[in-house]
Amino acid sequence: MSQVLHPIEQKILKTLAEKKNLTPEDLSEITKLSLDQIRRGIEWLKFKSLANVVESEKTLVTLGKRGNEASEKGLPERQLVNYLRSLDGYSCEMNAAKDYLKNEFGPAIANAKKNGWIEVHENRLMLKGYHDLSSEEKIIKTISKTPMGVSTDNFEDKDALESLKKRPEFIVLTSKKSALVGLTEQGMEAAKSVPDNIDFESVSETSHKVEPDAKVVRAIDVEAAAPVIFAAKSHPLRDVIDEVREIFVSLGFSEIIGSNVQSSFWNFDALFTPQDHPAREMQDTFYLADVKAKTIAKPDQIKKVSDAHKKGWNYQWQNEEARRLVLRTHTTCVTIRELADQKHDEARLFSIGKVFRNEKLSYKHLAEFHQVEGVVVGKNVTLRDLMGLQTEFYHKMGIKKIKFWPTFFPYTEPSLQSMIYNEKLGKWVELFGMGIFRPEVTKPLGIKNPVLAWGGGIERIAMLRYGLTDVRELYENNFGWLRSVPKCQ
Amino acid sequence: MPVVTLYFDRVKKILGRNVPKAKLVETLPFIGLDIEDETADHINVEYSPNRPDYSTDYGIITGLQGLLGIKLGMPTLKIKNGKNAIKATPTVSKVRPYVTAIEARNGKLDDETIRQIITMQEDLHNGLGRRRKKASIGIHDLEKIKFPLYYKTVTQEHSFIPLESDVSMTVKDILEKTETGKKYKHILEGHSKIPIIVDSDGKTISLPPIVNAKLTEMNVKTRNLLVEVTATDKNAAEGVLAVVANTLQIAGFELYSVKVTGAGNSTPVLKSRDLVLEPELVNKTLGIEISNQVIVKSLKKSRLDAKLRGKKIVCSIPRYRTDIFGVMDLVEEVALGYGIQNLAPTMPESVSAGERNRTTKTLETVRQIMVGLGYLEVMNFELTSKEILYEKTNKDSSKIISVADSKSQEHIILRDALLPGMMEVLSRNIHESYPQKIFEIGTIFEKGSSINEVVHLACLSSHKDVNFTEVKSVLQSLLKTGFNLTCDTIPQKEPMFVDGRTGSIVISGKKLGALGEIDPKIIDTFKLRMPVSGFEMRLTGLIFD
Repeated sequence: MSQVLHPIEQKILKTLAEKKNLTPEDLSEITKLSLDQIRRGIEWLKFKSLANVVESEKTLVTLGKRGNEASEKGLPERQLVNYLRSLDGYSCEMNAAKDYLKNEFGPAIANAKKNGWIEVHENRLMLKGYHDLSSEEKIIKTISKTPMGVSTDNFEDKDALESLKKRPEFIVLTSKKSALVGLTEQGMEAAKSVPDNIDFESVSETSHKVEPDAKVVRAIDVEAAAPVIFAAKSHPLRDVIDEVREIFVSLGFSEIIGSNVQSSFWNFDALFTPQDHPAREMQDTFYLADVKAKTIAKPDQIKKVSDAHKKGWNYQWQNEEARRLVLRTHTTCVTIRELADQKHDEARLFSIGKVFRNEKLSYKHLAEFHQVEGVVVGKNVTLRDLMGLQTEFYHKMGIKKIKFWPTFFPYTEPSLQSMIYNEKLGKWVELFGMGIFRPEVTKPLGIKNPVLAWGGGIERIAMLRYGLTDVRELYENNFGWLRSVPKCQ
Repeated sequence: MPVVTLYFDRVKKILGRNVPKAKLVETLPFIGLDIEDETADHINVEYSPNRPDYSTDYGIITGLQGLLGIKLGMPTLKIKNGKNAIKATPTVSKVRPYVTAIEARNGKLDDETIRQIITMQEDLHNGLGRRRKKASIGIHDLEKIKFPLYYKTVTQEHSFIPLESDVSMTVKDILEKTETGKKYKHILEGHSKIPIIVDSDGKTISLPPIVNAKLTEMNVKTRNLLVEVTATDKNAAEGVLAVVANTLQIAGFELYSVKVTGAGNSTPVLKSRDLVLEPELVNKTLGIEISNQVIVKSLKKSRLDAKLRGKKIVCSIPRYRTDIFGVMDLVEEVALGYGIQNLAPTMPESVSAGERNRTTKTLETVRQIMVGLGYLEVMNFELTSKEILYEKTNKDSSKIISVADSKSQEHIILRDALLPGMMEVLSRNIHESYPQKIFEIGTIFEKGSSINEVVHLACLSSHKDVNFTEVKSVLQSLLKTGFNLTCDTIPQKEPMFVDGRTGSIVISGKKLGALGEIDPKIIDTFKLRMPVSGFEMRLTGLIFD
């Protein structure tokens, strides 16, 4: 028996094992535990499947006005017997008894006769036989001890109860709904191992301060349910961002950070996106109202970038357009600025941050989300290296099945997209994009060696990780979800 | 990205070979197309706007033929000498200087071909044509036209019957009253003289870049077409014309030149151009060792022409490939022709040990301490609404920073504080159990001479017994545990907090934030039924730069 039983449970089990089905009130009565303790005990036993409770309807018997009198003076037939015993010869004339008993005379004669206590000869009453307590008297006596009432089930002599019922004002029957507690089979089994001596006294309630005369620390029910509390924690999306960051660091990448607000120059022009390109239109990009960048880049950088635009795209490049402030549409603007300013010959860099798109929010689109981007600068780096790094990144994320397809990005050539097989969804999902920065991007900014670049949205990974179908859920900050979603998936 | 519908029965016919459906579906992504959806009789694919030649099934099938090895090399435009001409008058120079044209004869049109051509036209308008601003196309029934054509300007009183109309309309009315007129009239804004193409009978055939005339509308019975392109950029005009000409040639039309003259215009020469490719660049960039022959074959599979010249490769690029800028674009063409699936990933040797940014590390410390203090992290958007940021909180909105033309009213203002968004979070979670303790670390934006980005930390605690002291304890503990700093809390009325229970957070004489019990009026506006206390402070400048 692995279950630890509280003394209250033990008492109830033992009692029920003997008496079968009882009401909580009866249990309280028998065990001398408070009704509150009994109710708690029953709940515990129910939880452990040791007891069950059947709702039932019971008829309770209490004493009426004349019943109360009878409990003091005895029933009329007893009064008659007592009267007769007080007389010499244990007999009297009918009339004498009639005077003594008044209204009760009739029933007294009838019941005394039924009980075999008296005989009637001519006009005379005579005592006879033994005068043990009659069934009716026993009933009155039982009820008088329990003012709350006694269930009719407790009386075996149903005829006696019936006859008392017929005698006005002796007993009152009220019906009452009641719960009847009984033991299950396991309960019966458990009751067998309850010791005869249930010890309420010589145990300590706490383990840290054992009372001097206590023999043992009271065992408690270690299986009982405990209240739910919530651990404070970081946001689930933050955890994915941190995981991605850790993977980049483990692959030898160093983190760079940059502003959310960028000039169009670094967000678009430096990446060879022509000023009349549809991607630069307001319907796709958030431009800041009423404010422009003061200085955007070094004069030499501006000149060379604008020259590349004129040559490649054949249009009039406008400085004013490059000064417009945008909420960055990718983190590439941070990377390219770092590369243009620092002129690394060899480097592994990455950047994680918010990017913005002028989108209507939907289950698959947000107006702002996180993006990660990594670059490798090196004399001998190749497209296959880029694919290898990407593969390694996915392996570290626990993604095994990967394939590559060609795609188009304005500032990389060649460009690829990676597809990963998602086991949960059972299909291929497009994830990170990658490519080698175009010479039209690197040359004007004085970047000599090839630059491998790759990256994508982090919310998409988080959705796959947490099994979400609506990307907006990540930003709802619903405590129900935040508190319950496991840290490790 | 634009979408093209491929019907399998058409594909089979144009491809010239019966290729199993599965093979087609498998190959499409390897010419750079994304599969949208697939049904029994067709498949929808998305193409990148840099490849306008993929704007019809004809173009896509041309690409497929290469990769499947059915047809290799560059499709050449066979342009015969035509007799017809178009003359530009100098007045167009100010508004839309360039015109170019070609004839496509003896072809057949069915409903699907017409649909494909119209889709191509729209995609070209939006992409290369920059929403018709840079270039726009008119395709006409050649038989309805009496040559020569004149490209000239007229006043807005000029009238003709435009497409999708039965009555003659003035240019003014077309611009003001029709759908396309309203959509594109901005391109002609500021010009009193409007460009127009008329035939030698004086009949209008086109009002570029707005609409064609009803007169020359093509239908399934049309056999001979005139394609004209008007533009602000001559190069763009010819690029667009080359895409259309190439597509119509694949569709079975014969091409005839149209003589273009006047005002700096000339007859288009839709010739291929050559680029010299060093094989070493290909191998070095892709990380492979393939022979020059394989490079040549790969380029041909990408529907370019290539031949060896000494140790170099001369590559010919058809005029319609406007996406090829230089040799690196050819490297990609080799990769595609060679097959991306044939490139095995490799791991480059690492040259460096990686590390997190210092700011990231510091913020991670702050986050860990806040979690240790029992606070749950929340993440809100940086773009929010005026209502949450200012109206519900009664904060000063004089330095509001808004974005232009947001598609969503809830994401239009850059936040200048974290607490309003966090109050909104509490407001959405009133059904969840208390105590509720949350924190956020995030960027806020300040308007000065420019826009300043500052990292803030804010926290809120809400339960029935919350008070000032609780959050002051949290603040003290954070600063001490994380950075061995102490702070003063100076009595001062602060926005969002209730007078008498609020103060400024001052560290080393510098004010960095505020703390206190949230004003019950603000608690009301957020429909909360529990008291709330909290603080917000800047981290930039305190624990990192």
